Amino acid sequence: MEDIIISTLQRTMVAGTPLLLATTGEIICERSGILNLGVEGVMAIGAVTAFIVTMTTGSPWLGVAVAIAAGMTISIIHAFASITLQANQVVSGLALTMLGLGLSGMIGKSYVGKPLLIKMEDWNIPWFSDLPWLGKIFFSQSPFFYLAILLALVSWFFLERTRLGIEIRSTGENPQATETQGVNVSKLRYLSVIIGGGFSALAGAHLSISYSKSWIEGMTAGRGWIAIALTIFALWNPGRAIWAAFVFGGIFVVQYLLQPLGISPNFLAMLPYIATLLILLLISLKDPKKLNAPAMLAEPYKRGKR
Amino acid sequence: MKKWIVLGLISSLFFIGFSTAGFAADKKLKAGFVYVGPVGDYGWSHAHDMGKKFAEEKLPWLETIIVESVSEADSARIIDRLVQQQKCDVVFTTSFGYMEYTIKAGKKYPDNFFMHCSGFKRSENVGTYFGDLYQMYYLNGIMAGALTKTNKIGYVAAFPIPELIRHIDAYALGIKAANPEATLSVKWIYAWYGPDKAKEAAEALIAEGCDALAFTEDTPAVIEVGQRHSEKGKQIYTFSHYSAMQPYGVDSVVSGQLMDWGGIYVKVLESIHNGTWTNDDIWWLAKEKAALLGGSKTDMINPKFVKPLQNAMIDTKEFGKIAAYKLVMMRYEQMKKGVEVFEPFTGPIKDNKGNLKIKAGEKASKSDLLSIMYYVDNVKGDIPK
Repeated sequence: MEDIIISTLQRTMVAGTPLLLATTGEIICERSGILNLGVEGVMAIGAVTAFIVTMTTGSPWLGVAVAIAAGMTISIIHAFASITLQANQVVSGLALTMLGLGLSGMIGKSYVGKPLLIKMEDWNIPWFSDLPWLGKIFFSQSPFFYLAILLALVSWFFLERTRLGIEIRSTGENPQATETQGVNVSKLRYLSVIIGGGFSALAGAHLSISYSKSWIEGMTAGRGWIAIALTIFALWNPGRAIWAAFVFGGIFVVQYLLQPLGISPNFLAMLPYIATLLILLLISLKDPKKLNAPAMLAEPYKRGKR
Repeated sequence: MKKWIVLGLISSLFFIGFSTAGFAADKKLKAGFVYVGPVGDYGWSHAHDMGKKFAEEKLPWLETIIVESVSEADSARIIDRLVQQQKCDVVFTTSFGYMEYTIKAGKKYPDNFFMHCSGFKRSENVGTYFGDLYQMYYLNGIMAGALTKTNKIGYVAAFPIPELIRHIDAYALGIKAANPEATLSVKWIYAWYGPDKAKEAAEALIAEGCDALAFTEDTPAVIEVGQRHSEKGKQIYTFSHYSAMQPYGVDSVVSGQLMDWGGIYVKVLESIHNGTWTNDDIWWLAKEKAALLGGSKTDMINPKFVKPLQNAMIDTKEFGKIAAYKLVMMRYEQMKKGVEVFEPFTGPIKDNKGNLKIKAGEKASKSDLLSIMYYVDNVKGDIPK
């Protein structure tokens, strides 16, 4: 029994890692007022570039770096459409998802199914990894896990406590007022979308070079959409995203444990979405203000227009 | 005299010319192959492509063309293209889902030949073929049963269809032959290709105490999980599937099953070429050397596990007390002679609800095996609906 609990929690951390990374990025992006539905596509781009670079150069970290750069670059398309052109963000985001999925499939065609032999070793944190229970669950994980937690905490601090973070948030709440304070709204929004893209690509890199160690078209398997749901579930707070991502990661892991009890895996796959709907419903019923959604989310901003 | 020699030469030349034209010894044959996955995968389509390459090397008159990653809905269009544009004489469709389209294509192009893999519908110019691995699963089961320390054995399975149930049951019967105490747990991942899902399912089985894992999924994900645990000091035994996956788990892979489609393709193509083709179902097993034992191209059993298997003694009715290693080898030899000599599905076999499915002394027929939809008695749980 002890083994089952430890192993389940340990796997939960692994499965939650890409969700946390993508959610953190989406929170930063949405906080600036830009809705990016392209997470799934950028994740796929990140996965395929990380895989190809790691396989050809033998260096996973170079793979990660290239993936982040690729994710940031492709996100500029969405930023350009929704900020400079003030296009409909839902349409542009969906287009980015389709573009990313299609493009990744094309680039990665000859890499499909090839297993990656280069291993990214788990990091055993000295002393902590010897702790009973906690050591195995938290302190002997892949580097991506620590990176995800660290980045979520840093993002939380960045958004809540730094000047730039507050400017990004106020851009999402009231761009007119922010602009009058001498802040360049467009620039900040560009920055947020690009950072968000980097996070999504990092999540994709984790999937292809650490989690699955292989590439196939569509391997992101809806994780990008879960990240968008999680952004709402976490009420746009990177701190809350940490536990939210691992709860949802846990659902993915637990489905194999619940199978002998006759619970359908298809039903469990639905759970993250149902949970998001429920939390939206509950908070909206109780106190809509607590929802904390950026007021100008998905609203194009035109300088000087009121 | 001279005249006769000239006449003889002319007539012999004529006969040589006639014979080559008549029996078409240098006639080219073009074969099209439709694959459901990419040839770069580590399973099904890759194995078919290896078979195709083998046939190409063996048959000088053969010309081939492949189309990979063809979704089932697209297959009719692809078959049309292969016949009309590429002028293929024969088209091999290598996924169950192509069945209806292959039959339809057979009607549309009565002068061409079609071979559908893993289906059950045939017509005048449409044949079926399949190579099955259930006997190898039985042998792997013997090894798993002999090696397990926890008496809990696991299986990561793709979809609940008769082919998978047959493999799970054969594995379970092998386990039972070696170790009547051990039980088999199955996790379903609902994917032919899903390394992340296979990984989580394998981890869940290990967490539940299983220490020997077999699987049906087209990546070495389960083996990587086994290797990682084995490296950390918790020995997990795994069995490679379809391709030689031992390099991914040198400390974990005991053995496995390999499929060789080469022989089938050569046979079918030769029969078409020399005009002896019939639409009889081709169902090849160990006897025809389509199903092979092993997790690598060179060793049937990983050298690391040969000693432990030689030391594990098993009580059998047929041979008395015998080492697991020897039992595997003897059974394999019997299987190579044919199902008449040894069939894993020989009664009495009960399902895990207690119903007698195969009576004592009887052997399962091919149609029994093709439609099997029950777990044998040492498998835990129910088949999902």
